[in-house]
This record gives sequence, C-alpha cells and structure tokens, in this order.
Amino acid sequence: MSRHVVVLEVNGRRHRLRVESHERLLDLLRDRLGYTSVKEGCGTGDCGACAVLVNGRIVNSCLMLAVQARNAKVETLEGLGTANKLHPLQKAFIRNSAFQCGFCASGVMLSAKDLLQRNQNPSRDEIRKAISGVICRCTGYMKMVDAIEEAAAEMRGETVG
Amino acid sequence: MVLGKSKYAADMIPEDALRLKVLRSSIPHAVIKAMRVPRRTPKIKAFITANDIPGINVSSCIIPDRPLLAKDKVRCMADVLGVAAAEDIDAASNFIESIQVQYEPLPILTNPFESMKNDAVKIHEDGNVARYLKLRKGDVELGFRQADLVVSETYSTQFQDAAPLEPEAGFAVPGPRGSVMIVGSMQNPFYVRSAVARILGVHEDKVRVIQAFTGGAFGAKSDEVAMDIAGLTAVVALRTRRPAALVYSREESMILHSKRHPFTIKHKTGVTKAGNLTAAEIELVADTGAYASNGPLILVRALVHATGPYVIPNVKTDAYCVYTNNTIAGSFRGFGNPQAHFAAECQMDMLAEKLDLDPIEFRLKNILRLGSVTATGQILDSSVGLEECITKVRGASDWNRKRSTWKHDSDRMRRGIGIALLYHGNSIGPEGVDRSSANITIDRRGKATLRIGLAEYGTGARSGLAQIAAENLGVALSQIKLEIPDTLTCPDSGGTFASRTVVMGGNAVKKAATVLRKRLDQVAAELLQCDPSMVEIREGVARCRSASTQEIALRDLVKSCLSRGVALSETVEFTAAGVSFDEETSQGTPYLQYSFGAVVAEVEVDPLLGAVTPLKLTTAYDVGKAINPLSLEGQIEGGAAQALGYALMEELVHKDGVVVNPSLGDYYVPTSLDVPEIESFIVERPGPLGPYGAKSMGEPPIVAPASALINAIAHAVGVRIKSLPATAEKIISALEGAKS
Repeated sequence: MSRHVVVLEVNGRRHRLRVESHERLLDLLRDRLGYTSVKEGCGTGDCGACAVLVNGRIVNSCLMLAVQARNAKVETLEGLGTANKLHPLQKAFIRNSAFQCGFCASGVMLSAKDLLQRNQNPSRDEIRKAISGVICRCTGYMKMVDAIEEAAAEMRGETVG
Repeated sequence: MVLGKSKYAADMIPEDALRLKVLRSSIPHAVIKAMRVPRRTPKIKAFITANDIPGINVSSCIIPDRPLLAKDKVRCMADVLGVAAAEDIDAASNFIESIQVQYEPLPILTNPFESMKNDAVKIHEDGNVARYLKLRKGDVELGFRQADLVVSETYSTQFQDAAPLEPEAGFAVPGPRGSVMIVGSMQNPFYVRSAVARILGVHEDKVRVIQAFTGGAFGAKSDEVAMDIAGLTAVVALRTRRPAALVYSREESMILHSKRHPFTIKHKTGVTKAGNLTAAEIELVADTGAYASNGPLILVRALVHATGPYVIPNVKTDAYCVYTNNTIAGSFRGFGNPQAHFAAECQMDMLAEKLDLDPIEFRLKNILRLGSVTATGQILDSSVGLEECITKVRGASDWNRKRSTWKHDSDRMRRGIGIALLYHGNSIGPEGVDRSSANITIDRRGKATLRIGLAEYGTGARSGLAQIAAENLGVALSQIKLEIPDTLTCPDSGGTFASRTVVMGGNAVKKAATVLRKRLDQVAAELLQCDPSMVEIREGVARCRSASTQEIALRDLVKSCLSRGVALSETVEFTAAGVSFDEETSQGTPYLQYSFGAVVAEVEVDPLLGAVTPLKLTTAYDVGKAINPLSLEGQIEGGAAQALGYALMEELVHKDGVVVNPSLGDYYVPTSLDVPEIESFIVERPGPLGPYGAKSMGEPPIVAPASALINAIAHAVGVRIKSLPATAEKIISALEGAKS
C-alpha cells in the first residue's frame, strides 16, 4: 500500500494529508478530518448520504478516492452555515420541519445547494430531480421540496417568512 | 441536524475502540460440523463464538428460539457464527474471510406452505408453526347462505426491508467492576439492557444503555439486531477491557435485520345484492423466516384487523405464523396491518366491481361507525372519524368526476383513481401490559427537564411530549429540556413502537406535569394571596387571574417552593386500562381506541410497458387530536412513500433462502422522483386513551396507500394485481391474460 500526498481545501480550510491508495474521500472527510456530517449509508453510491460538493458539483464521496480529490475544493454541510448565520436552506428546512431522522440532511442540502448555484428559480420538478440522488426513508420528500423552493425565493431576494 | 452536528452512533466511536466484524452463515439451513479458525495475528484481539458467551446465548423477541451466536445449527443466512475484534476493520474483515466452516446441508424450506407439510423438516424442535390464532364471530355458514354473491380470492405480499438510511451501529465501553456502557442506534434502550444483562449473565444494574441519535428505524431496530450489536460489543469490551464497536454495512444490515412478514391471505366474502357484507372467511399465513421475532404479535394485529374497517356479522379467521429458512421477519411499521389491509381493501374493490357499485358507495354501506360492532365483537363507543375522512378525500380528489370520465381515456396512457380505508388499533393492545413512566424535574432557574425512556428516530414524537410538558407546566417550549434516553437517568417507559409515544408517554408526561403544576399553584397562591385554582402560569410568569397586576417570575416561585421543602421532581407511571381478548375466539376489546383513515390514489399506467406513475395521493386521517400538525404531516407523507414502495417497487428477494438483492442499488426505495404530491387532511375525533384525545399516527399512514394504488391501477387498465409489488412484469402479464 503506497501513500500519497494530497492537498485539498475543505470548507475553506487547506489540508495536506498522506492518504492510502484505497482510502475514499468519505474516509478522509469523516475519519481524518472529523466531518461527521458526511454519512456512510451504503458504500456503493446508491443512497447519497455521503454526497458532498467537489469543485461546486455534487459527488458521492464513497465512490471517489481521496487521491482523486487532489487540489479540489470540497464543501460539507459543516461549511454551509453556522448557528449564528444559517444558510437560507438551513432556515427553510427548520421552518418546514423538512427532516425527521436527519441522516440524509447533508446529502439533500448539498444537492440543493448544487442546484441553486446553477438555477435560481427551479420548478418543483427540477428540485425533485436535483435531490433524486439521495434516498430519504422518513419524509416522503414533500417538505424538502417546499423548503428548497422557499430557500430559492429567499436567495433571489424575495421576502419569505 | 441542519448544521450537520447531530452525532449518530458511528460518529461517536471512541478512538481506541476495537472494530468488530461478524461471521455470517453461508448456507440457509445446515448442521455446523466444524469451524477452522486460523491463528490470530497481533491485530486480532478476540474471536468470540457461542462458547464464549458468559450468560445465556439468546437474542430474541417473543419466543426464545434464536441464539445470539449459532452453535450447532444454522437456520438462515442471517445466522451469525462468531465475531472478530481487531485494531481496524480491514484486519477484522480479512480474518473473518479466512475462517472456514464445514456444513452438513439440510433441506431448505422456502415458503410457509412447504413448512406446513407433514413431512417437512423441522426448523425448530417444536415444529414449524410458531403460532396459530383463530377468530370466531357468529356463523359464517349461515352468513354465506344469506349472501347473493360469494367471492374468493388469494392475495400475497413480499418481504419489505425497512431500509433506514443509517445502518445499525453501536459500541460498548467497559466500566469498573464488570459494568459496561453501550451506545447504539436503537428503538428500545430498556429491552437492550435486559437482553445484554442476560447475555452477560449479570444484573441489569451493571449495564447502561444510551440511545444515540438514530437515523431511521421503522421497526428493524426494535428487534434482534439492536440487542445483537449491544450484546456482542459488550462481550468483547468486557473480555478485552477495550471499547468495542460494530457497524453493519448496508449488505449486512439488509440481510441481518428483520423485515416485514410476507403474508398469503385468502378471502372468501359474502355480500347481498344490495351491497351489505354478510360473512367473511379469512386465512392468513405469515412467513416469519427462521426465527419468530415479533411474528407472534404481528399475527395478532393482522388477525384482529383482517376484515378491514367494516361491519361483518359473521367472521371466521385463521392465522398462522410459520418458520422457513428465509431470513428473519419481524417488526416493521404497521406490524401486520399493511398486509391485512392490502388484501381486505382489494377484496372490497373486487366486490364493488362485481356488484357494479361505486367503490366508495359500497364501502359506505358497510363501514364502522359510532356504535358499530367490530370483527372481535367490540362496540366502538367513542371516536370513529372514518366517514368524515372518506368525505374529505372524496371531495378533495374530485373522485366522482375522475371515476366516471377517466374510464373513457383514449390516450395510450390510462389514468385511474382508487381508494382504500383503514383502521389501526392504538398502542400494544393485547400484546401485554401497557405502561409508561416519565419524570419531570424543575431546577432553580425554572428550567424543566423531561426524562422518559421513549426514543426519537425521526418520528418527532418526543417533541410532542415536550409540548405537552410545556403546556401543562405553563412554560415556553424552550424551557423544556429533553434528556437523552439513557437507562441510567430515565425511567422505563416501555418500548418505542406501536406508535405509542404520544398516546402512552404523553399521558405519563401530562400526569407528571399536572402534579408539579398543582404544587406550584399551591405555593403561588400563598405568595399571591389568592385561591390555587385562580393561579395562572404562562410564559414563565405566575399571576392570579383575579388580580393580574401581581406576578411572580417562575424562577422565584421555584426558589420559594424549594425553600418550603416542596419537591419539584416527580416520576409518574401511566398504565392503560386492561384489554380483554379471548384466546379461543379472539372476541373482546383488543384495543382501547382506533385511528382511522382514507387514502385516494391517482395513477397513470402505460399498458405497453406496465409502467405506473403515481400522480397524487389524497389522504385524511382521524388523529384524535393533532399535537403537532407539521410533524403529523411528516408522518403521513413519509408513511405514504414507504407504502408506495411496498406497492410498486420494493421486494427483498430470497432464492432458496439466499437474499438476492441486499443492496440499495437492487432494492428500490422510492426517490423524490417516485413520490407524487401528497395532500393530507386531519380529522379530529378525540379518543378515550391519548392525552387531549390524541391517537397513534406513526404507523397508520403506511397501512392504506398500497391498496389505494392497486385499486387505482385496476381502474386505469382493468386488471387486478393480487401480489405485491405490482411490477411492470405483473401488470403486462395480467393484461395479456385478460386479452386471451
């Protein structure tokens, strides 16, 4: 097993790490850097619980090797907002009671961020498509779609609750 | 949660914990002849088998038929023969893979009908029928003679996987004097504690169990797996004096945890020309897999509800819970009721069709109403909101128009609209003594801590409990702190299942809060110089209703109480009234109240491809009293999505006892593209059991949507699917069958 040096940025912080060949981006984020918002739901790219933003695009971190994230800018849920400064998505999800067990929270919110970066006024169908890579077993998705619609409105500058 | 800060079990594993990996059976039914375990490398700190269990080697639910670790025999692919503990998970996995087990294969029973044959091999010593129940009401032979039409059909359902997004996980930390602390993803910390104490052969006081934030459960984490993980990690932790962690992969999770029981249900129903039901003869056969798990209790619920929410004077039901060599079937939201209602509601639709009556009109002639007698002979003397639910969904879905005009769709795509009703007995009913305890303690700052052993895994029910506490104490919700479910600090409130948290836990909380409130009122009355009945506490301030200018801040009131020696900590136990249920005839009052509901489903079917696109679900539920409407909607929508998966796309397939698709890539859980818009209505008919009249709403939302969808498909393309899931292949096959 050889070790490789990887430099990457996570939530705006630069890291320099030695990783194993077989280490996944998921393992790097969770075990090495302590970003436990990134969850392992299946390890086979089917559930989206591990999804993070890599260079602005949503990626299943269980299907990406750590070495592939060399020089990448990675965002996890911990970087979306803080308790004092919540992201519109976070506010909307709270307001709409859009999460139940919360295990899919990271994957869904980051998928939504990916969408809203590219499309400021998505239709409900476009929202559904954007989050279809994350399985939520608890909610039936309704309130998530509502929340993302509201967040989009707030981000467009329209007043919301 | 939205900040990503919630820690689940696998997020909290101690740095120095050993990582465990289980050795699973590689054959569904066999005698274990030998196990060749290679020499342990330095990284492998322990390998535990059945002989190493210090106490009793059992991890089971109702019938003690299941060993924690298999010893002489394996009965299904979910049997675990041993567990390795190593410095890292790769070392543990490699070690497990290098173990060779010699088996002597036994015949494999793949379905209950094979198991029930006289010459079938015995999976368990006492035979292959784990439980048999019967229900007898009236005289079905007479009832059938009174009928103008008798319809017989057989329906079948599949293994459904709970598929919580968080795979099972837990760890144990050894403590002083043989004690151990366990943190895990689970539903019932007190059940886990009892199980672990038995496995270790120690007093329960030596075992502390903490429920970690749990990422979905739906029943799977109520049964064996939570006890297995806690038991195995505890054994390793105490043996090695190191923390020990076990996290299941998705594949392990799907093979090892309990699934929804497949049922084969025969209905024979008699009805008059006018549309009144006269008799029902029903046979329910459940495949419980190799171990009974909660099968015996699931059978009770299915038996009681098998007719659907209708008045039928003569009922004969026989129900069997049968062992096979499939993996384990056990608790899953609905607990036998989704299966029972799938059959009952499809049967009702078939009858309506044959009588040429509108499905709603036909049902209205037979539904349970206030004063009706159920199949168990129970008189429903309170709170039956079923008709109102039907009225709501009928109007909101535009049923009448769609039912008649969609028949004449000339496009290739055919639209259909269907309905299904449900009733669901609340809490555990005849399954045992129903009791719940809660403690509320108010501290010097006026902050109240609620301690209750009921768990949160996404239902939002615990927030409801906090609301009830806040309301009754007269404080803001933000002043209530919910202590995490910890067997050391919280009272045993019974299990977090059967949708009983608000109904039973809520009552205990209300009682505790009321007791404390009385004490606060007493002291406030002295200080404010008025009658205790006039004291009003709102938003942390106590006033006299008659002279509202005088007020005391709650924290000052609390200080006064404490200095007067008035205790502000109260533990209260609430026990539900006993139910009566005759074992021979299943007549009596099995549940103290029922939730009711109606679901209308609209679909579009492509008859060439057999593809079904759900268009909309309109639901209405009699919830008794909505404690938290937003949270309630969440349960309704989530339950509908799971039912949709059950109806159209989910099936955990066993081939000769082997699970063929233990992955989320091959087992289809509905995504955001599969679930349509859901409109939900809440009907409130306060019931006699829950606080404020609240009824169970965790499980009811999964009971009806599947049959509503199947009935909608029948309306769209004229064929009836009688086995779930209604895949494209089945629909095309049925259409081709109809043509010929």
